Amino acid sequence: MKKYQLGEFEEIVILTIGVLYKEAYGVAIKNEIETRLSRQVSMGAMHSALVRLEDKGYVKSFNGETTEERMGRPRRYFQITALGKKAIEYTKDTRDELWKAIPKVALDLKIIG
Amino acid sequence: MQQPPNLFLRFFRWYCHPKLAYHIEGDLLEEYVARLKKVGKRKADIKFIIDVLMLFRPGIIRPTEGYKNLNTYGMYKSYFKIGWRNILKYKVFSFINVFGLALAMSVFMLIILMLADQNRYDQFHEKKDRIYRILSDYKDARQMYSSSGYPLANVLKSDYPIIEDAVNLTPGVGGDAMYEQKIADMRGYFTDPSFFNVFSFQLEEGDKKTALAAPNSMVISKEMADKLFPGENPIGKTIDFSDRQLAFPQEFDGISAPPVSWGSFTVTGVLDETKYKSHLKFDVLVSSSSRDILYAEKKLEDRTNDWEWIYRTYTYVLLNVDKNESDLNTALSDLVKRKYADLTSETAKEFKYVPQKLANVQLNVMSNDTNNRLPNLGYYVLGFLAFIIMLSACLNYTGLSIARALTRAKEIGIRKVSGAQRKNLIIQFLSESVITAMISLVAAIGLLLIVAPAFKNLWVNKYLNFELPFIPSVFAVFIGFAMLIGIFAGAYPALYLSKYQPVKVLKNLHSINPGKFGIQKVLSIFQFVISLIFITTSILIYNQFKHFLAFDYGFQSENIVNIELQGTDYQMLSNEFQSIPEVTTISACDIIPSGGMSNNNELKKTGERNEYKKVGILLGDENFTSNLEINLLAGLQLPVAGEASDRFILVNEAFVKAMGYQLPSQIVGEVFESKWGDEMLEVIGVVKDFRYKLLINEDGIAPLLIRNQPSGFKYLNVRLSTADLAGVISDLESKWKKIDPVHPFKYEFFDDQLQSTHQAIFDVVSIIGFIAFLAIVIACLGLLGMATYTAERKTKEVGIRKILGAEELNIAFLLAKGFLKMLLAAICIGAPLGYFLNNFWLQHFPNRVEFGLGTVLLGTSILLILGVLTIGSQTIRASRKNPVDSLKME
Repeated sequence: MKKYQLGEFEEIVILTIGVLYKEAYGVAIKNEIETRLSRQVSMGAMHSALVRLEDKGYVKSFNGETTEERMGRPRRYFQITALGKKAIEYTKDTRDELWKAIPKVALDLKIIG
Repeated sequence: MQQPPNLFLRFFRWYCHPKLAYHIEGDLLEEYVARLKKVGKRKADIKFIIDVLMLFRPGIIRPTEGYKNLNTYGMYKSYFKIGWRNILKYKVFSFINVFGLALAMSVFMLIILMLADQNRYDQFHEKKDRIYRILSDYKDARQMYSSSGYPLANVLKSDYPIIEDAVNLTPGVGGDAMYEQKIADMRGYFTDPSFFNVFSFQLEEGDKKTALAAPNSMVISKEMADKLFPGENPIGKTIDFSDRQLAFPQEFDGISAPPVSWGSFTVTGVLDETKYKSHLKFDVLVSSSSRDILYAEKKLEDRTNDWEWIYRTYTYVLLNVDKNESDLNTALSDLVKRKYADLTSETAKEFKYVPQKLANVQLNVMSNDTNNRLPNLGYYVLGFLAFIIMLSACLNYTGLSIARALTRAKEIGIRKVSGAQRKNLIIQFLSESVITAMISLVAAIGLLLIVAPAFKNLWVNKYLNFELPFIPSVFAVFIGFAMLIGIFAGAYPALYLSKYQPVKVLKNLHSINPGKFGIQKVLSIFQFVISLIFITTSILIYNQFKHFLAFDYGFQSENIVNIELQGTDYQMLSNEFQSIPEVTTISACDIIPSGGMSNNNELKKTGERNEYKKVGILLGDENFTSNLEINLLAGLQLPVAGEASDRFILVNEAFVKAMGYQLPSQIVGEVFESKWGDEMLEVIGVVKDFRYKLLINEDGIAPLLIRNQPSGFKYLNVRLSTADLAGVISDLESKWKKIDPVHPFKYEFFDDQLQSTHQAIFDVVSIIGFIAFLAIVIACLGLLGMATYTAERKTKEVGIRKILGAEELNIAFLLAKGFLKMLLAAICIGAPLGYFLNNFWLQHFPNRVEFGLGTVLLGTSILLILGVLTIGSQTIRASRKNPVDSLKME
């Protein structure tokens, strides 16, 4: 059993939430991913990832202020929970371990080839 | 600001999970506005649409079963828990509610039991959905007849293919069946082999197909078989049958006559009728083909082609599988057109045959029906009475709940503040009332165990045969009924209490006007008015009953025993009885005066062109009037029976007046002629008026003539001179055995007979009295509730008053004042209303009792005493409390 369930896209979203820190709400997260990773993110993919993250307890959310262009709809801000932090740390650690385990030769070969 | 495509926005709102909809919509709009600036409206719209469609995925779509926790079991559990606690907390009020509802429910449940009992009849017929009974109706018929013309079944069977089969049941078998010295009374129907095709009666012995085919064959009941053939197989045995025209199917459907031998019959079947619950009861079924022989011997009137004589045959038809009632109606009206168009008698006017479904037979009793059953009207009346009582009990619940709103106001406020909607509160209060109703149901079943046997013991039930068993399906109905009552009783309080606005009740409790029994007072007055009407009515009917019992009939009935002759010779029997020393006088007659039967004749004075006048006729021997101590006013007593004296009649005073004579002496010697028969009747004497019809049927005394015709005598009136009646009866019985060893000795005391004619009234007294009792108990319970509550609420006030020196009695009066006013108001409305309502029916009642202020006053004082006791019990208790206790309590 995996200790922490975190999909690839989910990982990107939760990390972006971390990047944005206090400013992590829907549109901001989307824009951030799009600019940093230069990939198109659909509203649907992102929001369902957010729902999944929240269901798993990795992020929590609260309603914030609203603006004119939102027509009265509040922004919903996301924040990484302690569990979420553990989850990304765990993921990072496993990746690091894997990186370390790769023999230097393999990578070098790749570079040469 | 420019709008995104509305259709898609609405689509999004429709599918999106409500928890997410708000902020995702915000994100969408923010994006849209940003894109609008960047790429223009058209592209922004397209992107918006793509976003909306991409969002349509699991996790964001609302769950189909609703996003809330649909299983509200927990909430209901809480409602019931709170409801139960509330019931336990206010024990007095709960008791009042439960007890009142239980009383009322038990009456309703009794009616449900009665209906359930009736619905068990005729359920065993396999083809019951296709069986119809044919009713007859004509212009002057008061009610439809359950009987029809004798030829109907055969014509339907042969001429109308929509009918699979039809059976004709004709009563007329009633007499002695004899087999090897054993004898039994046997009553039953003539019928044909179709009987077993239409109905699903099974034979214990014998073959259903052939049992009723051959002439002179009979199917007998198990009871008869056990009586006549104990330990033998009855099939193929021969019974000698003598017909005595015994009353069948109902008690008044016949006149016991001297036996006429019908010859011998072969037993072809045995039917165990105790197995079947049916409106058809019989000891014997005789094959219809036997009738031809009896016609030939002139022992039975030939009705084969008589369409007008519709009083003695019951026709049941079995419809074909694919036909319905309207087909049958068409067939019947066609038949009436063909057969009744040329007939001219009264009966044939606007004649109609109406089908009645077998399932409806038991509850819809018709004229001439096959047994005694409670007519529809009975259920309506009982249902109406039960409804009033139920209403009264529900009003108690409603009134008390609202009056005690104060105790619940804070709870309601808090619940609302914490987010309860009105709907939830309504459900909560309803569940409380349903719990109360369910507890009442348990109590009501207990009460029913007392009420049901009491009802079964009523005199009328001898004729109605209610069994009232507790069958499981009845309980399902009871529970459903209790739920309904709970909802009905709780509806108004639930709506009323849930209306409170939390701000008001939490801030200022007094704004809801606690403890003022506005509506409850009106309801209570209504209850007492109803109670008073019932009390007055039952007292009045009871007085009427006593009035009838003590009625002066104009003859002396004490110490007279009426003995049924059952076809034996009255002269022989009377000679035999004369030898008993305790017997003083003996007379004979055909009907017992005031016993419920009467015969009529129509007379006019010979030689005059006057109209015939209707007069009653009674057959009595020469001793009849003197034996009953009816005084002779003029002329002579009837002479001894014989050829020469047959023309003489005794008449009563009413007869003298009806025929237009001033004095009794003037009519003596006058001659009258009868409309039927050409005989001349000469008045030989005039007797004082005496009652010969039921008191309940006739106010004045109608004209009557008495003739001495021994052939018609049915009873011997034996006057005894002793106190030891039982001893004499056994003497009489042994003498009877000597003359007639076959038939059992049947006697009744005249006094008892007269009294039994009023038993029905006594039953009405019992029922109305019981209802009155319930009404007053429930009304008093409501009053008790109010008084208790007032006393509780005013504990402090009472304490302070006492400390300031108020007298106990003054305080009690102060507390009771409002309720006493209410009682007085109820009396002011109820007493006149009760008086007028009762006068309404009493006016049309023959031989009515005096109905004056006395009865109303008696009813009023009963009500007043009970009311004052109820109020007093609470107010006096409250006023006697030690002020120290009541004031220190905080």
